[in-house]
Amino acid sequence: MQDYLEGKIDFVGQQRVEEVARVVLISTTALSFIVGFAMQSLAVTFGIFGAVTAVLLLAVVPPWPMFRQHPVRWLGARASN
Amino acid sequence: MHSIFSRINNVSALLSSCMMALFAAIALSSFVFTADPKGDLGLLSVKVYPASGAKKAHSKQELAFVNFNVTADLRPLFHWNTKQLFVWVEAEFNNTKKSENAVAIWDRIIRRKDDANLKVSGKNKYMLRELTKSFKNAEPAHYTLKYNVMPYVGVLTYGEAARTNAPVEFPLVQKRV
Repeated sequence: MQDYLEGKIDFVGQQRVEEVARVVLISTTALSFIVGFAMQSLAVTFGIFGAVTAVLLLAVVPPWPMFRQHPVRWLGARASN
Repeated sequence: MHSIFSRINNVSALLSSCMMALFAAIALSSFVFTADPKGDLGLLSVKVYPASGAKKAHSKQELAFVNFNVTADLRPLFHWNTKQLFVWVEAEFNNTKKSENAVAIWDRIIRRKDDANLKVSGKNKYMLRELTKSFKNAEPAHYTLKYNVMPYVGVLTYGEAARTNAPVEFPLVQKRV
C-alpha cells in the first residue's frame, strides 16, 4: 500500500518527467497566449492552459510503466573472504 | 522526482511561474490596444433650486439639477482583457474659495460590448451641491464624460470621451417649483 502511494519511478523516468513537464508547460503558456490573443478571448487562453495542465498532471504524476523500464540492477552479493 | 508528491511539487512550482508569466503577458498586452473613442455630451438644462440641508432639516442649501444627452460609442474599448467599463459624467467647477470641485453626477457600469454604444438622455443621479451651500460664487462648470476601463488582469486605465465645448454657468436660484 505504501509503495503504491509513493509511486516510485526509476532514474531515467525521473529525467524524462522533468523534461516533459518543462517543455509542455512553457510551450503551453506561449501557445495559449498567442491563440487567445488571436481569438481575443481569455476563455480560450485559460481553456487551453487548464486542459493541457490537467493532461500533463495525468501523464506525469502516476508511476506509469513507461517510467519504470530502466530499473537499477544491483550487483549480486559477493562472498567475503 | 522519485515519488508522486515530489512530482506534484515539481510540476506545480513550474506551473505557478508559467501562470505569472501568462498573467504578466496578458496585462502588458492591454497596452497594445490604444482606442480613444470620442463622443458627445450636450447639456439640455441646468437649474438651481433651494433645498433643506443634508444633515439638518432647518439649514438651507442649493441643489443643481442637470439634464444632459450622452452619445458615445465606447465599443472600441472592449478587447480580450476588458472586464467592464465604468462611465461617468463629471461636473468640474471652481468657486471663489479656489477649491476645485469635480463631482460625479451620473454613472453607469457597462459589462458587455453590446451595451457600450451609449445613447443616454438623462439627469443627475447624484446630488450636485456646492461646498459653500450656494452656487452664487461658483464659476461656470465644464461637464465631461469620463471612463475607466477595468481589465481582468492588469492596471486600470482612465480616459475622457467628451467635454462640453464651453463652460456652462450655474443659473440664479429659482423659487421652489
